[in-house]
Amino acid sequence: MARKSISNYEYTEEYNFLGTEIKAISFHLPEIVLSNEQLSELYGDWTPEKIYEKTGISKRHIAGKNETALDLAVKACKNLFEDHEISPEHIDFILLATQSPDYLLPTSACILQDKLGIPKSAGALDFNLGCSAYIYGLALAKSLVTTGIANNILFVTTETYTKYIHPSDKSTRTIFGDGAAATLITQSESEKIGSFVFGTDGSGAENLIIKAGGSRKPKADIMSSEIKSDKDSIPTEENLYMNGPEIFNFTIREIPKCFHEILGKSSLTVDDIDMFIFHQANKYMLDYLRKKIKIPEDKFYVNLSEIGNTVSSTLPIAIAMAYEEKRIKKGDKVMLVGFGVGLSWGATIIEI
Amino acid sequence: MTNKEKLGLLEEMLDIEENSLKEDMDLEDVENWDSMAVISFISLLDEKFGKQITASQIKAFKNISDVLEVME
Repeated sequence: MARKSISNYEYTEEYNFLGTEIKAISFHLPEIVLSNEQLSELYGDWTPEKIYEKTGISKRHIAGKNETALDLAVKACKNLFEDHEISPEHIDFILLATQSPDYLLPTSACILQDKLGIPKSAGALDFNLGCSAYIYGLALAKSLVTTGIANNILFVTTETYTKYIHPSDKSTRTIFGDGAAATLITQSESEKIGSFVFGTDGSGAENLIIKAGGSRKPKADIMSSEIKSDKDSIPTEENLYMNGPEIFNFTIREIPKCFHEILGKSSLTVDDIDMFIFHQANKYMLDYLRKKIKIPEDKFYVNLSEIGNTVSSTLPIAIAMAYEEKRIKKGDKVMLVGFGVGLSWGATIIEI
Repeated sequence: MTNKEKLGLLEEMLDIEENSLKEDMDLEDVENWDSMAVISFISLLDEKFGKQITASQIKAFKNISDVLEVME
């Protein structure tokens, strides 16, 4: 799997206020693969072809039983350091987005600091967002660099949603895959991370949720109230629940608006953008959005097939792959749009 | 749009034979009317009629004529 990307990293002590940019991206996908053939064997009524036709996905990578989001994060960061010859000692801030942390506490980003040998003088924090996290992380990183608070931001997105999915929940299992991405954001000679648009609608919280396991419904409570014989056969409140139709509704309601807002805020038109990269939710949704918004097909990047929906990592993986495939090049303007769990969404326009 | 045209759109959406849908048909008996069809119907309604509909509204439908009623 290609994992190299934008590599113009060169460490500098000098700080100036000219701008920020994504200097490098690397990612890591777990080795275990779940194919449409395997899914089709499990759920007789769907052929591998039908699964592909509906989702645009032919396989997803699944974290092993003892492989956690933090493990994936460490590998993605090591790839970043090796591929782009970046030294961990230059990192002065870690941002880590995950909804599948190793522990309720402490913070994954703190453990990551130690595992990677990043200086103790670095700041580190986790934030809990899913499919919109990449946009938020870029905004936070840009703010930290622009204000002079930090210079070299290691921004990590990592998820193992598949651990939350009940084995019988076939529609969700066909979509999600696990993965992690590491992005380095630093100062640059011009501003390459543009304006941002954000959106939040907590009234849709229940449409993509794991109800039990937090303080509202602690695990111990639901364990004792559960009928044991049912526990292994049907999804419980500890599993990921996704109301697909309502998430689809939310997307077609909010994303076209968000798309026009970010263009307006940036004083750009569709023609000015070289590539549109949306959160890789599933092909059906992406196709519908592309047609509704009227984006030319050759400027709309889709790379679900071999990866699936890796939640917060779909955008950085897509940027890295589009660059590797030469679909985008230095100087290109790329619109990024993230949307999902929260409900939460956001968009920005970057220059490669 | 006539009911016949609407039925045609639904048949196309469900990828089933032309003229196979009847207005009084129970949705439980309609081939391919599944969770994916609910999403397809949401997009059909948005695309062709500029209307939004919730999943629970669709779940309340009993037969094809209930479906046709919102297609305007």
